[in-house]
Amino acid sequence: MSEQFSRRDFLKLAGLGAATTAILTGCGPASRYVKREPYQQMPEYNSVGQSTYYATTCRECAAGCGLIVRTYQGRALKTEGNANHPLNLGKTCARGQATLQGLYNPDRVTDPNKAGAAMAWDAAIQVVADTLANYKPEEIAFLMGTAPDHLFDLVTDMANATGMNAPIRFGALSMFEARATLSKAAEEALGHFSLPWFDVGGAQVVLSFGANFLETWLSPVSYTRGFAGLREAKTKVRGKFIQFEARLSATGAKADEWVPLRPGTEALVALAIGKLAAEIRGGALPRVFSGVEPIDVAAASDVPLETLERIAGLVAASGGVLAIPGGPALGQSNGLAVAEAVLALNAFADNLGKPGGVYISGLAPAQVEYQRAASAQEMQELADKMASGAIKALFVHGVNPVFELPVSIDFKGAMANVEQVISFATFPDETSSLAHYVFPDHHGLESWGYQRVATGAAQPVLSGAQPVVSPFYNTRATADVLIAAAQLAGGKFAEALPYRDEVEFLNTKVAALMAEADGSFSAPEAVTFMAYFQQYGGWWKKSSALATPASDKALEQNIAAAEAEFSGEGEFFLVPFVSPTLAEAGANKPWLQELPDPTTTVMWNTWVEINPKTAEELGIATDDLVKVSSEAGEIQAYAYLYPAIRPDTVAIPYGQGHTAYGRYAENRGANPANLISGYFNEAGDLAFAGMKVKVEKISSAVSGAGLSRMESGMGVYGDFLGKEE
Amino acid sequence: MIRPDEIKMSTEETGKWGMVIDQDLCTGCQACVAACAMENNISFVGEEDSGYGRSMHWMRIERFWEGEYPEVKMTPQQPMLCQQCGHATCEPVCPAFATVHSQAEQLNLQVYNRCVGTRYCANNCPYQVRAFNWRDYQRPEPLPNQLNPDVTVRRMGVMEKCTFCIQRIHKAQDKAKAEGREVVDGEFTTACAQACPANAIVFGRVDNPESLVSQLAHEGHGVKHLEELGTLPNVTYFKGG
Repeated sequence: MSEQFSRRDFLKLAGLGAATTAILTGCGPASRYVKREPYQQMPEYNSVGQSTYYATTCRECAAGCGLIVRTYQGRALKTEGNANHPLNLGKTCARGQATLQGLYNPDRVTDPNKAGAAMAWDAAIQVVADTLANYKPEEIAFLMGTAPDHLFDLVTDMANATGMNAPIRFGALSMFEARATLSKAAEEALGHFSLPWFDVGGAQVVLSFGANFLETWLSPVSYTRGFAGLREAKTKVRGKFIQFEARLSATGAKADEWVPLRPGTEALVALAIGKLAAEIRGGALPRVFSGVEPIDVAAASDVPLETLERIAGLVAASGGVLAIPGGPALGQSNGLAVAEAVLALNAFADNLGKPGGVYISGLAPAQVEYQRAASAQEMQELADKMASGAIKALFVHGVNPVFELPVSIDFKGAMANVEQVISFATFPDETSSLAHYVFPDHHGLESWGYQRVATGAAQPVLSGAQPVVSPFYNTRATADVLIAAAQLAGGKFAEALPYRDEVEFLNTKVAALMAEADGSFSAPEAVTFMAYFQQYGGWWKKSSALATPASDKALEQNIAAAEAEFSGEGEFFLVPFVSPTLAEAGANKPWLQELPDPTTTVMWNTWVEINPKTAEELGIATDDLVKVSSEAGEIQAYAYLYPAIRPDTVAIPYGQGHTAYGRYAENRGANPANLISGYFNEAGDLAFAGMKVKVEKISSAVSGAGLSRMESGMGVYGDFLGKEE
Repeated sequence: MIRPDEIKMSTEETGKWGMVIDQDLCTGCQACVAACAMENNISFVGEEDSGYGRSMHWMRIERFWEGEYPEVKMTPQQPMLCQQCGHATCEPVCPAFATVHSQAEQLNLQVYNRCVGTRYCANNCPYQVRAFNWRDYQRPEPLPNQLNPDVTVRRMGVMEKCTFCIQRIHKAQDKAKAEGREVVDGEFTTACAQACPANAIVFGRVDNPESLVSQLAHEGHGVKHLEELGTLPNVTYFKGG
């Protein structure tokens, strides 16, 4: 810099620099921590300073949307979608927005500890090393969240090299999405064991059998964009959307028509529509539709024959018909038949591998077996092994099985039989409170990593993550802990993970992509490649990798299309559904708690949805405390008279009812998983929508209590209580 | 600073900034509500206060039911926020001139340090979009780390409402001015519009006929809520269905 360089020139240059490097990148281990200064010490001239923006990946669910986080003076201030990211194109859902309330949550695990007593990281790593070294590899299990991320790859590498059990990924969302059923049906009907992708945006008529694709299902931001495409009337006729489900969901509320069929008859209805449509169209009747008699289906499903015929007319006449199976329809004893029947409708509509139709999601980069998380049945097998003593050491990361699995699977009891349970929980939760040790991982926004996008984007995407702020507490990346512990444990463990730290591991994995053609960026050397990877928020291919399903099998299946079986003595079908705003892990974020539920506007609590006519017969009013009981257990919650639910059905949101998850989640609401027995469908998914329950009124509503809800914006406590709005 | 004698009602047909909301696309997912709260340092109030209608949402998604089972239908979701009226009913009733019309921005301002908490403005707002700080709502440490330094943190006794993310407007204007140009349509947007996964919310200059928001607003099937009251709202809704 010359001496004539004036302050004015300097400011110009500085401004230019800020404009051109809008998204910064951390370049390696040395720059992994940015400085954080408290406001009090902030120099006066910095108060109008520039923000810096970092690209990373959202960890609130397993979808893998790209984020750009605005930071200022080392603090994260706001998350926005990454406009370049192929999955979410700059958009986010409410949970992505609230991710900072997890980062700055007042209830986090601050130090490594043994049953609450803080310990040093060196001692903690020794504990992990001893656990790896002292138990036989087949006695060690690793349980992780649904997301197929870098930690999953690291543990997979370790398991492959040492004979340790392969890591198991699980989450309540994957259970309620019935991912195993969807993948198995795709294998049997479409010839690919992978998640199908439904091109809602290109369709003209969408028939959704219970799929809650505008709420939490698979990749909600991507599917919402698809829905907007369906409705966009600029370039084509406004698409039609019909939802088949017993309880109108927030997704169903957007439908043009709601068909409130009897729970358990989804497969029959799908096949009956197919048969009627095939008869209208003429020609040979596909074998898959031959086993049903529409008039009997109409009687069994409470859907009038005229309705079935009208919808069949649509399917037969119009192009661009798309049928989506999902949600509670798959979480039944005949869930696999439902999925296959609905996929057969797509084959009949001849949309496989065509715009507006069904595709098979392409494989994300750095392939290992990652496509599907564990089913509930596989979790039951894990719990059985733990209970029998076959598993003696358990590592848990990114999942809270004690809360997320139904009590009937009794993960808590199984954990008691495991000699060594080590949790890497960021937040104190039901599982970590029962662990022998808690060695907290960073929050996602403090972490390095990458994550595969399993479905939702046309091209293969490896979404990149980098720390946007320095770790707030004495936490450590689980990958770093495992690498250090593997070195200490020696032998095959040390050979499996020959890395200095997590960042070197990531560099090695990501640098492998340099050889791939058709990438979103390229670079001559690994350092630059990694810098781009962080700057863009990931790597993806330029062209689509969606696969075309095989079309020969779907219409030739023999589907045993019996009605689903229900267990329990009660008179009501139970529909447990994932809260659209809280999902599986949002309950500890106060602003998510205060978001009104899209259909009922309830905040901060659990409710039981009852049809108003039924409620009148039972003498139940909104805000009355009711007891819901099944053969598996009972819960208490406030009633909500929901106008859009079948009279023989009650529905309860999942997401509340925590006993340990921080001050905003604890002792709030109830967990409907406590009502679910451990029955599985043919694909191993939990038959969570296969319960019958009893409903009893416990006490009447009292002033100043009951469900806090927005309704009119005026509030409902006090004067408004118990009156019709 | 605007002196009281400078304050006058806008009689112009169009304001400067406006919004178009397509209710046919809105899924009620609450992403905008969350984004707004995160951007604008809005307090959460807890279960009891929200049950008394004291929650601080600057926008809410209204939904109504029509008919009875099985012929029941939810009306298209309706995101409701301050309509930034050209002729706002909240303005003339404020005794402290805290609720004033900005000449420069053509927006309804809420000047927090003038507000004495009479709540007349909220009483007079036909859209019910103003939120009053009934308490000093607590943010336990370290939650305050998230606070946006561009937005004032409000305390007990102060009224607040949607500002059309005025801090973003100013930032974009400053940047454009420094570069010697006008703000380009789409250069920035409000937190709600930026988050919306369905692209149901479009924000921009309504006085520029070339802008996307103007073109949408003049498409013909847009409606303005309670327009018959003469409030000249700057938010246009497509009813959908």
